[in-house]
Amino acid sequence: MAVNTTTYVRSPSRTSAYLDWLQMLTGVALILFMWSHMILVASVNLGAGVMDALAHFLEKTYMAQVGGPIIACIFLLHFVLAARKVPFRVDQQTTIWKLSRQLRHTDTYLWLIQVVTAMIILIMGSIHMWTVLTDLPIQAAKSAARIQGGFWLVFYLILLPMVELHVGIGFYRIAVKWGFSRRHDRKKYKRFETYLTAIFITIGLVTLVRFLLLKT
Amino acid sequence: MARRLKFNIFRYNPQDPDSSPHTDTFFLEETESMSLFIALNQIREEQDSSLQFDFCCRAGICGACAIMINGKPGLACHTLTDELPEEITLMPLPIFKLIGDLSVDTGTWFRAMYEKVESWVHTDETFDPNTDEGRMDNALAEEIYELERCIECGCCVAACGTANMREDFVGAVAMNRIARFMMDPRDERTDKEYFEIIGTDEGIFGCMGLLGCEDVCPKHLPLQDQLGILRRKMGWSAVKQLFRFKS
Repeated sequence: MAVNTTTYVRSPSRTSAYLDWLQMLTGVALILFMWSHMILVASVNLGAGVMDALAHFLEKTYMAQVGGPIIACIFLLHFVLAARKVPFRVDQQTTIWKLSRQLRHTDTYLWLIQVVTAMIILIMGSIHMWTVLTDLPIQAAKSAARIQGGFWLVFYLILLPMVELHVGIGFYRIAVKWGFSRRHDRKKYKRFETYLTAIFITIGLVTLVRFLLLKT
Repeated sequence: MARRLKFNIFRYNPQDPDSSPHTDTFFLEETESMSLFIALNQIREEQDSSLQFDFCCRAGICGACAIMINGKPGLACHTLTDELPEEITLMPLPIFKLIGDLSVDTGTWFRAMYEKVESWVHTDETFDPNTDEGRMDNALAEEIYELERCIECGCCVAACGTANMREDFVGAVAMNRIARFMMDPRDERTDKEYFEIIGTDEGIFGCMGLLGCEDVCPKHLPLQDQLGILRRKMGWSAVKQLFRFKS
């Protein structure tokens, strides 16, 4: 903490609080969205018809056309809000990296993973959203054709674990920061987060394989 | 057979223009129940009388002997060498001003922090030495005491990613302090007043929840719980003020 030698008094402001609320709420919204997203995409495992029907429903009700861009906005807003805490200066990056290596402390590492995955998701997530939303309607056959092209398979093999790690760790960190998890149940939350991430990555991988094998 | 311990100790005297930061290596035969405090004293007595480090109570009460032990902050007097590997690296706490070798000045930092969070009971009552002391519910007194157990060693600050990156961040110790006064019925400050002190990015909203503080506190203070409670309280306070049209 710096010793303050200035003589002026800063006027009290509630901005930090509102920004922190928004960061958390946009985070929660995106977590819920990602879970719904997984249901839609993984529905292909029950049959291409099931996924097509779900997608058709979302487009018929304009949830995809309107909801998609809204999610994209929330996604960008969440990035801007969370970036307030991300070290962009080299000295800060060096400090946190050195500290994490010294401390060998899981939660500090988890946060670093959060920061790194955030940058990758920002770029790859944007590309993904653009590709899907400019090529409506969503159809299992179209998705399968993309995956089978090879490039998008590699793309999603990278994006999937990044997103699931970010969602899982984000869930745990919201619980810890906002006092939903207390000292006595922190381990439980952490275990839940690990299982959640592992389960979602598995479902995602199974779904990718399904798309790969889907006849187009 | 007793282990032969290897100590890598950070050496630097900022007062001496000829001194440059480096690491000195010392060897010691491990003895039974040897703490780092004992080891450091032995090194200073037998091998290098110029070695600087802080200590006072030897019993984990004064908080003076906090150092980085193999990269983690902890109390030298509380840490037994048999919990550590044969090679032990000791560094001074980061963030605080270095006095020399392992000794840092936590006092200036804590003083400035206490002034910033106004760490005293705020009351308009005039003190009357002839009346009995005000009574407090025992359970509440114990709750307050739980947070009062802080020994100001600085470990939570040293382990905090945010405090390491941003020197204006007040750290868990300050939040714990504020939480203590919030519980105290004698302190007449309102949530809004607390908010003005701690409801910023230098205070609770700057906390990124890395919980280094919680995991290294040698007194096992409930820092995670207090940080969570404080974020919620201050968050609600801001929302309430937003919907209060008359100020």
